[in-house]
Amino acid sequence: MKPLREQIKTKPWIGWVLFLATMGIVFLLGLLASSIIERRSEAQFAYTPEVEYSQFEPRNEIWGQNFPREYQSYLQTHQSNFRSKYNGSAPIDMLEEQPEMVVLWAGYGFSKDYTQARGHHRAVDDIRETLRTGAPMDGQTSPMPNTCWTCKSPDVPRVMNEIGVAEFYRGSWETRGEQIVNPIGCGDCHDAQTMNLQISRPALLEAFERTGRDIESVTHQEMRSLVCAQCHVEYYFNENIVEGVPYLRFPWDNGLSVEEMETYYDNMEFSDWTHQLSRAPMLKAQHPGYEVYLTGTHASRGVSCADCHMPYMSEGGQKFTDHHVQSPLNNIANSCQVCHREETDRLVKDVYSRQDKIIQNRDKLEEILVHAHVEAKKAWELGATEEAMNPALMGIRHAQWRWDYAAAGHGNSFHSPVETGRIISSGIALAQEARIKLSRVLANLGHNKPVPYPDISTKAKAQAFIGLDMDNLNREKEEFLEQIVPTWDAAAAEREETYER
Amino acid sequence: MKKSWIRQWEPPGPWKVPVIILLGIFFGLGIFILKISNAPSYLSDEPEACVNCHIMAPQYATWSHSSHREWAHCNDCHVPHNNVFNKYYFKAKDGLRHATLFTLGKEPQVIFIHEPGKKVVHNNCIRCHEELLTDSKLLARTESYHHYRTDRRCWECHRETPHGRVNSLSSVPFARVPLPESQVPEWIKKLFQPKQ
Repeated sequence: MKPLREQIKTKPWIGWVLFLATMGIVFLLGLLASSIIERRSEAQFAYTPEVEYSQFEPRNEIWGQNFPREYQSYLQTHQSNFRSKYNGSAPIDMLEEQPEMVVLWAGYGFSKDYTQARGHHRAVDDIRETLRTGAPMDGQTSPMPNTCWTCKSPDVPRVMNEIGVAEFYRGSWETRGEQIVNPIGCGDCHDAQTMNLQISRPALLEAFERTGRDIESVTHQEMRSLVCAQCHVEYYFNENIVEGVPYLRFPWDNGLSVEEMETYYDNMEFSDWTHQLSRAPMLKAQHPGYEVYLTGTHASRGVSCADCHMPYMSEGGQKFTDHHVQSPLNNIANSCQVCHREETDRLVKDVYSRQDKIIQNRDKLEEILVHAHVEAKKAWELGATEEAMNPALMGIRHAQWRWDYAAAGHGNSFHSPVETGRIISSGIALAQEARIKLSRVLANLGHNKPVPYPDISTKAKAQAFIGLDMDNLNREKEEFLEQIVPTWDAAAAEREETYER
Repeated sequence: MKKSWIRQWEPPGPWKVPVIILLGIFFGLGIFILKISNAPSYLSDEPEACVNCHIMAPQYATWSHSSHREWAHCNDCHVPHNNVFNKYYFKAKDGLRHATLFTLGKEPQVIFIHEPGKKVVHNNCIRCHEELLTDSKLLARTESYHHYRTDRRCWECHRETPHGRVNSLSSVPFARVPLPESQVPEWIKKLFQPKQ
C-alpha cells in the first residue's frame, strides 16, 4: 500500500475527509470537555458546609470556612485606615479635634480618652486600649462594669448562655477579660443553622417586649437594620433591675425621640454622672445612630443600614452581602450610586455640605455649654444654694443631652440632617436659657460680670484645666496592655483548644 | 511553470498529512469556541444575546417588565440606526469592550452607561418619539425651539424608563432571565447521566 500522502496526491478527497474528520473529533472532544467542566461546577455551586458549629461558636474564622466571600470581606474591617472629612474608620482623637469635649465630660471617663472607634474587627482591641476602661492590675479594678463588653464580641452571647444575662453584667470589667476575646462577628447577627439574621443581645429584645413589638414579625429588610440596632443605639445602665448589677437598657419606653428619652430619664431621676465643674446631673448620650436614622429620608424610603454600609455584590453570578462594614463614603460606587446616578464627587460634596452645616451650630453649642459649666462652677464657689442652682443645672443637663445626642451618633448629620439640626438648635436655646438663669444667680451673689472662658485650645490644656493626670493614666494603661492582656489571650487560647470541632 | 497563488501555500509532500490534521484541530476548536460562546447570536437583534453575559440580567429583567418590551429590543436603543455600517461598527466596538471586561472580571458592581452610548440612546429616543418632541407649528414660529426641546437627555426626567432606578448587578436577584443554557447537546448529557 502506498503511503497516505501519495494516495492524497492522486485522490484529494482523502485529504478532505481527513481534515473534516479531525475537525469533527476535536469539536466533539470540546463538547465532552464542556460536559466534564459543567459536572465539576455542579459541586462548586451546591452549598457544602466545610465545618459544623453551634450558635455559640465565638471564633469567626470557623464560621468563615463555610462562607469565604462574606468572611474575607469582613476581615477588611481590620484595615481601619479610611478617613472622611469628619469620621471614617481611622482612630481619630476626638478630644484633640474638639478640646471643649474634655470640659463637657469633666468627671466622666470620656474626658480621659475619646478615640473614634475602628472597624468591627478591632472592637476588642479598642476597648482594651481606651483609657476609659482603666488599668485594672495589682489589685485595682476597672472603673467600668462588665456590661461594657456587651457589644464587643460573639463571646458575649456564649457567656450569657452559660451564666445568665444579669450575671454576665455583674462585676467590674477586667473579670471577663479572659472570656471576651473574639471581635464582633458572625454569631452576633446570624443564626448558626439557617444563617438568617437574628438578635443575639437581650437589651433590644427586652425593649421590643416592653413597647409591645414582636421581633418575630419584623421583615427581613427591617432586620437588616435591627441587627445593627442591637448596639448602635442610645442605652444606659439600670441599677434597679437586679441588685448590684448595671443592667443594660434602652430608654425607648416613651418613644424614640430625643425629648421622649429625656422625659424617660427625668422621670426616673437617672443621671450617668454628676458634672465635676457645674455639679449638674448629666446624661451621656451613647450613639443613637438607629434612632436618628429612623427620622431620615432614607429610612422613610425603606433603605436599611446594610443597603449603604454593607451593599450587595455579585461575583460570578453569586449575590452576596459585602461584609466590609464601613463608611459608604469609602464605597460610593456600590452604595450611593445604586440609586443616585450622579458623579462620585458630586455625591461626596452633598454629604460634606450637610455635615459642614450641622457642625457649625454644634461647635457653637459646645462653646455655650463650656460657658455654662464654668459659670455654674463660679456660682457654687460664691456660695449659691442648691435651690437657686437647680433650674439652671437642669437646663445644662437637657442642653448637653441634646448636644451629645447629635454628636455621638457619628452619621447623624447625614442620616437625618433636619432632625439633627432641630436637636442642636433646641439645645442652643436651652443652654442660653440656663446661662440667663446662672447670670441671675451670679448677680444675686454680687458677681455681675462675665466669667472668663478657660484656655482649652488643646486637649492637653483642657485636661489640665479639669485636673486630669494624663501621664499617669497613659503609663498605667501601657503596663496593663503589656502585662495583663497577653495573659487574657493565653487563657482564651487554652479554653478554645477544648472546643469541639 | 508558475504555481497559482493558492498552490504557493501548499506544504511539501511529507508535511501534507500533519498539516491537514493541524488545520482540522484549529478549525474544530474555532467552531467549538463559536458554539460555546453562543457567538452567532450576536449577529441577531434578539435581546437574549445580551444576557449571554449574566451581569446583564438586571437590564434584561427590567426591560422585559417595561412597556418598551413590546416595541423595542436592546439594539433598537443601544446601537445607532443612522446607517447599517455605523450600526455594526458600534455594535462590534461596544460588544468587544463588554466581552473583554466581562472575561477579565473587571466589571463594576454598579454599571454606568458611557458618553458615546448615551448619545446613541438619546438619538434613538428621538428617532421613535420625534412627534412627541417637536411641534411643526411652534417650530416655525419660535426661535431655538428645537434646541430647547432637545438640550436635555430624555432620562433626566424619565428616570425609570425603562430599566428602573435601582442599578446594581445584584438589583434583581430572583428575576427569571433567559440566561444562556448549557451548550452541551442533550445526547451527550444523556450519555453521561447518572443511573436513576
